[in-house]
Amino acid sequence: MVNLGKSGLDRRALAWGGVGVVLTLALTFLGSDGLRWFDSALIGYLFGLVFAVFAITYRYSVWLRRPPTAMLNRRGWDSFRERPSRNLLSLPALIGSHLLVQGFIRKRSTSRWLAHQFVFWGCILAGLITIPLTMGWLHFQSVGQQADRYQVYFSRVGTVSFDAASIVGWLAFHALDVAAVLVLIGVFIFLRRRLSDPGALAVERSGDFLALAGLFAVSVTGLFLTISSTLLEGQFYPALNTLHALTVILGLMYLPFGKLFHIFQRPANLGVAYYKQVNLDGPQAECRRCGEPFCGIQQVTDVQLVLEQVGFDYSSEDGDNYQNTCPGCRRRQVALAQSLRVGGFG
Amino acid sequence: MKYRPNEAPVFVIDQSRCIGCEACVQGCMECGTHRGQSLIHLERIDRATTTQTAPMVCMHCEDPTCAQVCPADAIKQDEGGIVHSALKPRCIGCSNCVIACPFGVPRFMAELDQMMKCDMCIDRTSEGLKPMCASVCPSEALWYGTREEFADNRRGELIREFRFGRQDVRTLVYTVVDDLAPGPLDVLRGFERSWLEDPFDLEGGAHDAGLGFS
Amino acid sequence: MSRIPISEEELISRYGPHLNEEPPGGWDGGIVPDRVVQTHCCFCGQQCGIKLKVKDNEVIGFEPWYEFPFNEGKLCPKGVKRYLQGSHPDRLMHPLERDSTSPSGFRQISWDDALNRVASEVRRIQEEHGPDAFAMLSGVSLTNEKSYLVGKFARLALGTANLDYNGRFCMVSAGAGNKKALGVDRAPNPWSDIPLADVVWVAGSNIAETFPITTSYIWKARDRGARLIVQDPRVVPLARTADLFLPVRPGSDSALFGAVLHQLIRNDWLDHEFIDNHTVDFDQAAAAVADMTPAWAASITGVAAARIEEAAELWGTSATGMLLHARGIEQQSKGVDNVLAAINLGLATGKFGKPGCGVSTITGQGNGQGGREQGHKCDQLPGNRDISNPEHREHVAGVWGCDESEIPGKGLSAEEIIEAIHEGSIKGLLSICFNPLVSAPDSNFTKEALDKLEFYSVIDFFLSESAQHADMVLPGSLHEEDEGTATSGEGRIIKINAATEPPGEARLDWEILVDLAERLDRGQYFPFQSSKEIFEELRLASAGGTADYRGVTWERVEAEMGLFWPVPEEGHPGTPRLFEGGKFYHPDGKARFHPIPFRESAEVVDDEYPIWLTTGRVVSQYLSGTQTRRIGALVRQYPEPLCEMHPQLAAQLGVSDGDLITVTSRRGDMVLPAQVVATIRPDTVFIPFHWPGRKAVNQLTNRALDPISRMPEFKVSAVRIDRVDDSQRAGESSEPRPA
Repeated sequence: MVNLGKSGLDRRALAWGGVGVVLTLALTFLGSDGLRWFDSALIGYLFGLVFAVFAITYRYSVWLRRPPTAMLNRRGWDSFRERPSRNLLSLPALIGSHLLVQGFIRKRSTSRWLAHQFVFWGCILAGLITIPLTMGWLHFQSVGQQADRYQVYFSRVGTVSFDAASIVGWLAFHALDVAAVLVLIGVFIFLRRRLSDPGALAVERSGDFLALAGLFAVSVTGLFLTISSTLLEGQFYPALNTLHALTVILGLMYLPFGKLFHIFQRPANLGVAYYKQVNLDGPQAECRRCGEPFCGIQQVTDVQLVLEQVGFDYSSEDGDNYQNTCPGCRRRQVALAQSLRVGGFG
Repeated sequence: MKYRPNEAPVFVIDQSRCIGCEACVQGCMECGTHRGQSLIHLERIDRATTTQTAPMVCMHCEDPTCAQVCPADAIKQDEGGIVHSALKPRCIGCSNCVIACPFGVPRFMAELDQMMKCDMCIDRTSEGLKPMCASVCPSEALWYGTREEFADNRRGELIREFRFGRQDVRTLVYTVVDDLAPGPLDVLRGFERSWLEDPFDLEGGAHDAGLGFS
Repeated sequence: MSRIPISEEELISRYGPHLNEEPPGGWDGGIVPDRVVQTHCCFCGQQCGIKLKVKDNEVIGFEPWYEFPFNEGKLCPKGVKRYLQGSHPDRLMHPLERDSTSPSGFRQISWDDALNRVASEVRRIQEEHGPDAFAMLSGVSLTNEKSYLVGKFARLALGTANLDYNGRFCMVSAGAGNKKALGVDRAPNPWSDIPLADVVWVAGSNIAETFPITTSYIWKARDRGARLIVQDPRVVPLARTADLFLPVRPGSDSALFGAVLHQLIRNDWLDHEFIDNHTVDFDQAAAAVADMTPAWAASITGVAAARIEEAAELWGTSATGMLLHARGIEQQSKGVDNVLAAINLGLATGKFGKPGCGVSTITGQGNGQGGREQGHKCDQLPGNRDISNPEHREHVAGVWGCDESEIPGKGLSAEEIIEAIHEGSIKGLLSICFNPLVSAPDSNFTKEALDKLEFYSVIDFFLSESAQHADMVLPGSLHEEDEGTATSGEGRIIKINAATEPPGEARLDWEILVDLAERLDRGQYFPFQSSKEIFEELRLASAGGTADYRGVTWERVEAEMGLFWPVPEEGHPGTPRLFEGGKFYHPDGKARFHPIPFRESAEVVDDEYPIWLTTGRVVSQYLSGTQTRRIGALVRQYPEPLCEMHPQLAAQLGVSDGDLITVTSRRGDMVLPAQVVATIRPDTVFIPFHWPGRKAVNQLTNRALDPISRMPEFKVSAVRIDRVDDSQRAGESSEPRPA
């Protein structure tokens, strides 16, 4: 059971959140070479990041202890360990298809998939740059006396160097603009779908729109900064900078609570893939009514256990469990029971 | 023809009236929230012995078993009590809901790697329109309207308490029984009575003229 | 010789049936329509209201039309998927002339050339062989306007007596029976009478699959406490919950009705007042059933005497009651007898002209009712007029502005036209929306007939199996591409609205006929500029007939969501229920009883062919399937014919569910899977008829005709069944082979 303190918060999750915060701060300290490379202008972002890490860790740990989640978490790892080498080999392909290419969204709708891919890669790109920047892991130094030549430093390790005027240079300094444009394209496709398809609009939840609005705000204010510095000779830059920081920090604080939390839940999909494989290969449960196999015995047993844990009792007096009947026969049994109460079946 | 929210229309499923025509299955595919995917179920009870068929929509349990066993916390119930399809971003495609649902409702869509289920045509009902299946159903086995309309036009009593062994489940969708007295619809108990016994008088022995094919 | 130009497989690969699976733009496309058109389903005589969503001249979906009173938004699966017949890859877009050197079997030609060729072939054949050597076959998917135009076109432009329609295979026995007994050919009741009946008797109608919406009316009656009787060789879905099931042997219906009348008389469950004041010839009918005891009927029908007695009691003692019958009792060589025997039961108990009372046919085809009464039936002129009646001819000639002598007399019925083609007296044929190769009995014979035609032209929107034989194919219009009226099975005139325009070079059917008349130098009789102008003339032509549309306007039909004929003058409210006050349509105002002695079907089982075969429909297909076999979702619901048989029969034959069997009649054979089900009489098998070629059960059916209605005996034949063993299966040929 979840252990709630007086505050109504889960103590264990609070502890895990604390661990997350300490770890983030420690990594920032170490990675920035004792704060040497930490950019104090980014302190607001760091605050947002730390908050996000805390809340995400907190929520993740609460989530993971829900009986069905805990069961699946355990079973996912069990399943992985059952044939570790084969599973390890298949992991990259699984990550590619389930987490990166997301073909299952494409099956739903090509436009939706396209939109999601734009937003996804835009966010990944932005995250890969801004998080290390914020934590002081990443910084640029000019090379020697060459004003236009920069070298990328990862902590204290110098990596590639590039000419500011080169394509690589342009990309390095505008990577976040590229990310913003990707996200905006995705957001616009999403919006267009929602506005033109009454069906999509009907299942719209307020959280969906908030997430899109947040992505939009972060991307647009970020682009404004570039516009200000390149086209307006820095006009409004300080105000825009504050605005952007505000949207990003708010976005980071929203991350654990809104729709975007799925980013952290989604990897569980890999565990499910292994679990399903084990259930496919393993012995099958046969329906008590029609005798046909309908699912792996392990998962049926697991679900029955979870049902008990969450307070259901689908057992019958003869010691059987209702979930031993296949879904099709459940539908038939409901119909037969109903027909009996109105005149008979047949 | 639209219902106003204060009229509180209800969904009624009366499986005994189903004629197996599949208008609901075809209509469901036209529903705006899941075009091209039919989410309603239609079972043949046992074609070898009977023409009885049975549709099944989501019953929208008050305490949805599917949501309780969902590891991703992806199945949500709205203020109106409608249990929605798994939230697409969250659903991790584990099928726990398919295994757990007492009415056999959720579908795991392998291609989409997610669960989908009947959402009582939320795009329609939220605007006061009947769900697609209850709109088209020729025999009114699937029916949507106010309780007053039901009482005025249909025989039988509405019931939404179901019993599965030791588990009682209360739903948003009603079904129909002749008499409320026996209590919840006991799904596991007794199917001994047939509507038409021996339709061709093969056992009756009253006569066998014309039927005694040899 | 109108043989198919290239192989059947090649024709199918080019012209289908292919399956339309998705709306234009796909499931994922935006679904905001430009406009929504209120119209009707085209897939049966119920004519359910439906709204079609239109975008960029394509139908992209549907919406239930809740306000239309007949179906209140309800639709069967055909109605739901009806919109997918549009924007179809198989759609005919250009006039096609047969060309066996072309890879597709046809070559595209201009409308001018096409129409000129048709006109010149008509002239050539008629000059060589006489005017009646060119026949026309019409279809009841057409609106009233088109049906009327076809009737006028055949009589005045072609000048042939030989015009008939595919309702000949559907409702004619009911029409003939109704006319004989009641003096008018229309369902006596609006469907709103069904819920008012205390007993509903369904005879020979698989309502759940062929008129699904009617089940809701029957349940409404049952919700009021009505009892349901179902008379059918199969436990059809409606029979499953019936209060009384009468499992008649195919071809024995009039024996059952006779025994019921016998019981009514014996127990004096009669309405003497009604019989005395509103009917004639009761005594003759009574005499005919004097010996028809329930025990005797049980020996004929296979229905236990006790059940027959119970049926008589339910019918005889209920204050109100409706007997609904359809093709099961009508598609027999004694279809009219069966209908008259059923009507006798209504007359004897006074169940006519009152709320909740009537004996009614359920019209099968889309515009079966309106089509036949407005002109394309071989013996009728508009307004349900008799083509042999001099006064009727005078009236119509007056409206048409021709001399009475210019109107040909009564022609051959549809099956007789096919026989005359086979025998060589008819050389040319123009058909519209008629696929006899699938829908006519004895299809091997039909194929031989089509092959013999010197010239065959078809107006249709898809290349049906019959159209594959055509010399000239003229692309016509779909139901949703033209406007006009239709008349539903209730006798309700409704408005069909155009949702789109014909694609490509396809044209409106009436325009094609008007142009063709022009080329036959009869343009003066066809000055029509619109479908509405045709309707205005139809009103005048029907005026004074039984099916009187004089008071009907398109505007009123739309505003009032239908008008029941007769509507003799403008402002008349229409006539939902016929015979009120016991007034029938015979000159003396009285209905006629008919003595119906029992006779056997044209073919009965014997040692060689020991099993009864009956045929029918499935819910997902419509008639010859020209439209519905092209819609993916409907095809998947029931892809291929199966032969339903009882486990007892299956055991005797050594057949298990799913086994391939050969079903053989005196006319042909077919191979198909057995479906072993305990829901059919053990002496009878059932096969649905929607498929062509080697999958056509009409290879087996009998051409025997009802002497009055000329309806073929689709519902009763004798067959032999053999299990296909694996060695035979290997040698199985897909080519049609005549018996």
